[in-house]
Amino acid sequence: MANETQDASQATVNGDNAQSLCDVVRGLPSRAVVDLWSTGVCTRCILRLFGIREHDYYRSSLSRSILSSVVGDSEKHLVDSNVREPVVCRVCLGILQFTYSVDNKLVVERESASELAVSISDLLRQQGFQIDSFSLEVSIPPIIQENDRIAWLYMKRKFESELWFQGKSLSECISAKDALKISLTEILETMLGCKSSISSFHIRLTYTHRIASITVDSSNEGCKRRKTGSGNGLDRINDDIKCSGFLTSEADAVVERSFVSLQANESPVCLKLPLEQSSEPCCLEFLCYRTQIYVGGRYLKYSRNVSQSCWIIDDERMGEASVEEILGSNVLPICRGDNYKFHAAGREDIDVRMLGSGRPFLLEIQNARLVPSDDSVKSLEIAINNLENKLVGVKNLKLVDSQSWDLMREGEAEKQKQYVALVWISRPLKDEDLHFISSLKDTHIQQRTPIRVLHRRSPLEREKIIHWMRIEKIVGSSQYFLLHLCTQAGTYIKEFVHGDLGRTQPSIGSILSCRAEILRLDVTDVKMDCFLTE
Amino acid sequence: MNEYIGDETNHAQEQKEHEIEDPELHKLILPNAEDLPLIPPSSVESNFVSYFAPDFMKPRHDQYIYRHANGKKGGITAIDFNVGKSDRIGIKVTGKRKKESNSALCKVCTNDATYIVRCCVKGSLLEVNGRLTKQPDFLNSAADREGYIAIIMPKPADWLKVKDSLLSLEDYKKLREVS
Repeated sequence: MANETQDASQATVNGDNAQSLCDVVRGLPSRAVVDLWSTGVCTRCILRLFGIREHDYYRSSLSRSILSSVVGDSEKHLVDSNVREPVVCRVCLGILQFTYSVDNKLVVERESASELAVSISDLLRQQGFQIDSFSLEVSIPPIIQENDRIAWLYMKRKFESELWFQGKSLSECISAKDALKISLTEILETMLGCKSSISSFHIRLTYTHRIASITVDSSNEGCKRRKTGSGNGLDRINDDIKCSGFLTSEADAVVERSFVSLQANESPVCLKLPLEQSSEPCCLEFLCYRTQIYVGGRYLKYSRNVSQSCWIIDDERMGEASVEEILGSNVLPICRGDNYKFHAAGREDIDVRMLGSGRPFLLEIQNARLVPSDDSVKSLEIAINNLENKLVGVKNLKLVDSQSWDLMREGEAEKQKQYVALVWISRPLKDEDLHFISSLKDTHIQQRTPIRVLHRRSPLEREKIIHWMRIEKIVGSSQYFLLHLCTQAGTYIKEFVHGDLGRTQPSIGSILSCRAEILRLDVTDVKMDCFLTE
Repeated sequence: MNEYIGDETNHAQEQKEHEIEDPELHKLILPNAEDLPLIPPSSVESNFVSYFAPDFMKPRHDQYIYRHANGKKGGITAIDFNVGKSDRIGIKVTGKRKKESNSALCKVCTNDATYIVRCCVKGSLLEVNGRLTKQPDFLNSAADREGYIAIIMPKPADWLKVKDSLLSLEDYKKLREVS
């Protein structure tokens, strides 16, 4: 029922539009209109060459009989009974006639923009996209822009003496791309129920033409040849001509001069376009996608058997899971995206826990079918924190924009990190040790690349700073203690404790003049401003 | 006057920073003393597998190799040299060629003799222990740790060739009758 009323109203609308369209066409200089029609230019291209901008005229369907009758009324003697709207326009190659091929095989002819819009909105629904805005992008073969200029110059040659041509300029013409957008945008807005604006959701229409792309190259070469041949001061014209599709005004001069040289031999001025009249329209590919959305927050890692990123060597996984996969696999289905990428501000070893305020991270979700609401994200945070195995936790989970990326990377190398290590030394702990360790501030250490990472990092000696340290005694043990320390980012803590065969100096062992070993390490604070609780 | 107060607040601030304020966090990090082993495994024991090449080139000149298995790409080995007890030891490093195979690593001078230490494993030479020139007695006093001579990265194929001729820790102990 709803569909029927919709169709009926469309018809009335089209009926109204068809009437006003006829009026507009009748208002144009009929000689020019008929002339252009007979040389194979479609009505909508004629409209845009004359600078007609109202979108209604582009939307409505064109009945061929109406068209010829429009002009026929007043200028019947000019009309050849065979004048019709061309099947495939020579200028726009079918684009503004909503005629296109799919996969270079099936040719589709649409009566109006609304039918194309329906195909688009069907695709959206099929893919399951939920949107609150969209951005329409159109890509057309460059030759069409060239065709516009040639058609305009043709009109100028033929009709410049006419009254109606006075004062007109090429800049008034509407490009094919703009005309297409004009015809589609409002319809899409109505069908999709949201506005066209700068959006993360893109609808992209890509038109290509098999032959046209080859012809542009050869026509450009043709221009070059004429350039060297004529010697009319055309030597100044540089490589601008080579840039496809964007001809400069100097290039216009070249094109015009080439007209002159052609017309010198032929008396009637005719429209010579690079492409021969073709029955082959452009091939259209349309796709809908959403650009990346970001979910950020801080993660905690409670397990000593979970790596940060997925770590698989020779089909064997290291550890029982990864933070990346746990978070990604929980967020991705909520956004119904294609896949995710995990980024974090630094990392910790698989056997090191991440506690305290957590480590900032970003999950990049690609082609999300929907953008989750704030409430969704809050529930997601609770769900992750209540997972049965409690390997990983999250804090401050929320949707963020791409600037957060810079925020996270910014100053990553300067930020301080705080740790607590379980240390054993080869002799009993003395009270002087506690005081001495606490007194050391901003200690500089030299670290050679630890042996355990030498296979993947360059062998360098790096200077790092230990900002402060504090020993916490453990009840019941004289040789074990907790070492709290705050260091510069990039410091290898384990090597600082055991010395790495003397390659980190000083080390806890050398400072306390004994052998020291580290049993466990936890990160307790990543001192960064991003993704903190507000 | 103001500066003085400033210092006080800074000090209190620092104290506060260094305390772990969160009792939950503290519970997580505090170990149970009873669970801790009397003497924990050393970093060398945890990270490396030891191999021994007894009587390499000369009788009673044993070489230790610590092998770190960094993934499957080929491990890093550290080599130590057992010189035996001598009073004075000087060491001079010879050549720093990238690929070594049974070629000289360094020269060791003791009271009565000069030895050229050769490498028992073929591989790229990553690092020679520069500290030995200043503290050559490490060779004796810390032969199994700071007294390592060099770090080599062999290709997996080269390592496998040599591996079978080397002894494990247990076998070496039996051979040399040490505990």
